[in-house]
Amino acid sequence: MAEAPRRSARLSKGAAEEEKAPKPAAPETQDIDMEAAPPVIDEAARAKELEALAVADIKQHFVLLAKSVATHETRFTARVIRSLVSVRRRLTAPILASVVRAYYTKENDVTERLYKYIGQKASNAMDLDDAPVQPKTELPEIEVYIHLLVMVWLLDQNRLNEGIDLSGATVQMVQELNRRSLDQIAAKVYFYYARFYELTDRLAEIRGTLLSAQRTATLRRDDDTQSTLINLLLRNYFHYNLYEQADKLVSKTTFPENASNNQLARFMYYLGRIKAIQLEYTESHQNLLQAVRKAPQNTVTAGFQQEANKLLIIVQLLMGDIPERSLFRQPVLRKALTPYLQITQAVRVGDLTKFQEALTQHSATFHKDKNYTLILRLRHNVIKTGIRMISLSYSRISLRDVCIKLHLDSEEDAEYIVAKAIRDGVIDATIDHEKGFMRSKENVDIYSTNEPQQAFHQRIAFCLKLHNDSVKAMRFPSKAVDRSTVEEAEAVRDQERQLVQEIQEEGDSDMEGDGGPL
Amino acid sequence: MTLQNIKELAQALKAEFNSPSCNLDKCGQLLLKLKIALMEISFLTHDAKHASTEELLLARDVLEIGAQWSIRTKDIDSFERYIAQLQSYYNDYSHLPPSSQKYSLIGLNLVCLLSQNRISDFHTALEKIEPEQLHNNPSIQYAIKLEQSLMEGSYNRVWSSRQVVPAAEYLFFIDILMGTIRNEIASCSEKAYTSLPLKDAGTLLFFTDMGDILNFAKERNWKVNPAEQKAYFHSSADEKVTIPAEQIIKQALFYARDMDRIV
Repeated sequence: MAEAPRRSARLSKGAAEEEKAPKPAAPETQDIDMEAAPPVIDEAARAKELEALAVADIKQHFVLLAKSVATHETRFTARVIRSLVSVRRRLTAPILASVVRAYYTKENDVTERLYKYIGQKASNAMDLDDAPVQPKTELPEIEVYIHLLVMVWLLDQNRLNEGIDLSGATVQMVQELNRRSLDQIAAKVYFYYARFYELTDRLAEIRGTLLSAQRTATLRRDDDTQSTLINLLLRNYFHYNLYEQADKLVSKTTFPENASNNQLARFMYYLGRIKAIQLEYTESHQNLLQAVRKAPQNTVTAGFQQEANKLLIIVQLLMGDIPERSLFRQPVLRKALTPYLQITQAVRVGDLTKFQEALTQHSATFHKDKNYTLILRLRHNVIKTGIRMISLSYSRISLRDVCIKLHLDSEEDAEYIVAKAIRDGVIDATIDHEKGFMRSKENVDIYSTNEPQQAFHQRIAFCLKLHNDSVKAMRFPSKAVDRSTVEEAEAVRDQERQLVQEIQEEGDSDMEGDGGPL
Repeated sequence: MTLQNIKELAQALKAEFNSPSCNLDKCGQLLLKLKIALMEISFLTHDAKHASTEELLLARDVLEIGAQWSIRTKDIDSFERYIAQLQSYYNDYSHLPPSSQKYSLIGLNLVCLLSQNRISDFHTALEKIEPEQLHNNPSIQYAIKLEQSLMEGSYNRVWSSRQVVPAAEYLFFIDILMGTIRNEIASCSEKAYTSLPLKDAGTLLFFTDMGDILNFAKERNWKVNPAEQKAYFHSSADEKVTIPAEQIIKQALFYARDMDRIV
C-alpha cells in the first residue's frame, strides 16, 4: 500500500496504535502541521500561536464560504469541507469560542447556546486581529458551519447527549433554510447527527427524519445530502440486521452519480453485503471490489478497508475462488484478517475439520463482524474443494475412501454428495453404484469449449469499461482559462495543487466509525 | 366492538384451537371475526406509542394462532401473510414481553422458505435472528442444519431429520421438501450414473414400493430395461457443442463500437 511519506512522518507517533484503533478521533494528540510549526521557543507561546493559526484558518474558511455563495461555485465549499479533517484535530474550546465571537457581531440566543456547549466565552484578552477584514455578512452557510464545528468538537469530547441536542437543532435549521449553497455542509451535518445517535444506540429513532430528509434531497437533486443519507439509512438498517428493508431502499432509490468517492465506496460496500446475503455472489464481488478500490488507501481508513476486505474474501471463497495470499500480508489488514486467513486455508485444501476448528476458535470475531452466517455457508465449499482434490488425484476411488477422507457420516452420504458435485459441474466423473466407486473422466480440452471466449470477453469488457470511466472522470479546464493571463493560469495551477493535497488527506472523517462492526 | 369482546373472542379461539377435537372451520370463522375486530383497535399501527401493551399482545396471540391454523389447513399463502404481519410485532415492538411461540414460528417460516427453494429469502430471514438463538434454539438449529444438508447434498440426513422435527407442524413442510429432494436426487443421478439397478434407485430415492419407482422413472423419462431390472440414463456425450453465433456477433459489435470511441 502506497502511503505518502509526509503523512507517515506525521503519524509517527504510533502507526501501530493507529492500526488497531483507526478512529481519527484522538482528541488529546494535538497534531501539528509540519509547515506551520515554528521552531520551539516556548510551550505556552507556541500553543497560543497554534490557536491563533487555527482561528485564522477557520476565518479563511468563512471567506471561502462567502465566496462560494457569491459566485455560485461549489468548489470553495468543497475545499472547506475537505479541510474539516485538519481543522478537527486542532479544535479546542477557546478556539471555538473565539470563532463564535468573530462571526457573531452581537450576542443573541444562538451565541448563548453555542457558548453553553463550548463551556466558555471568548476571553477578551485573546489576541485577535479583530479588525473586520471582510464585511460581516450574515450568511447561514457560515452559521451552519460553526454549528458543525461545535458538533465535531462535542463528538471528540464524547459529550454525546449534548451532541444529540445540538445536531437535532442544526438539522432543523438546515431543513428550514433550504439553500442550495448549503447542500454540502448539510450532508456533513446529517452525518454527524446520525453518528451521535449511533453512538448512543438510538438509531431507530431517527429513521423517520432521515427518510423524509432523503426524500427532500432527492426532489432538490441535492447529490451530496442524498448520497450521505442513503448510506446513513443503509447503515441504520444494517445495525438492526434489517436487510430486507435495506434491499427495498436500494431498489427504490438511485444513488446519485456524482456522489463523492467516499460515499460511493460505502454504498458499494453496503450493496455488496446485501447481495452477498441474497446469494448473488458475482454481483456482490463486483461491488465489493469497487468499494475496496474507491476507498482512500491510507491508514486512516483502515477500518473500512478491513471490513470491506473481510467480506470480499468470504464472497470470493463462496464463489469458489481463493483470494490472493498477498492480500493477507498488507500491513493494514494483516492482523484483522488472521481469522479469515485460517478459514481461507481450510477452504483451499478442503479440510473440513480444520474449517470447523477455525470456525469455533474465531466464532466471536465472526459474530462481531456479522459474517458468521456467511461463513457457515462455506462449509459446503470446503466439501466441494475436497471432492475436487480427490477427483484430481485419483482416477478411481471407492466411495468408502471418499467418505473417510472428507470426514462424512456415511457412505450413502458420500454417494449423494459426489452425485451432486457431478451435477453441479464441480468434477467430471461417474459413479459405479454396484461396485461402489467413483471414476474421474479424462480431462477435456478446455479450448474446444466456449470457456476461453467467455474469459476473453470478460477481460475486454472490463478494459473498455475502465477506459470509458476514466474518460468520464477527467476534468477539463473551462474555456475562460484558455484565454486568461499568465497570472490567472498560475492561480489555477496553485488551486489544483492545493486540491491534490487536500484530496490526499481527505476521507477519514467520512469513513469514521467503520472500524467497529456495522 | 370493545376490547372486552375481542378478548372473549380470542379466548374462545384459543380454547377451540387447543382442544383435541379442534374444528378448523370454526377456528377460521373466529379468526376472520377477530381480524376485523382488531382493525378497529390498534392493529398493525406504525405508531406503537398509542397502542397499549395489552392490545398489542392480544393481536400478536391471535396472529400466532392464525399462522398455526394456516399450516393445519395447509394454506401456505395464508401462513406467509400471518408471518409477515407477525414480523412487525417481533421486531418493531421490542418492549413487548417475548413470545414463547416466536422462534418456533420463525423456524417454521425458515423451513417453509426452504421447501419452496427460496434460498435467498431464507438467508435474509436468517440474518435477523440473534446469534445466541442461532446457536441454541432447537427450531432454528433444525432449519439451519436442514439447509446445510441440502446444499451439501447429504440428502440422507434430510430424510432422517424427518424423525426429529421440533414440532408436528414441521412435517407439513418437510413432506413438500421431500418431493423437491427426490427431483434433485433424480437429476443428480442422471448425470452421475450411466445406469442404475431399479432396486438401488428405490433406496436412493427413498421409495419402498416398486410401483412408485416405475412411476417415477416414467415421469423422468428414464429408459427402464425390465429384463435387467435396470434404469438407463441419457448420456451427456450426445449433447453437441453449439457455437453461440448471435452472442459472438453482439460482442464483436460491442468491441467495435467501443474501440471506435477510443480511436
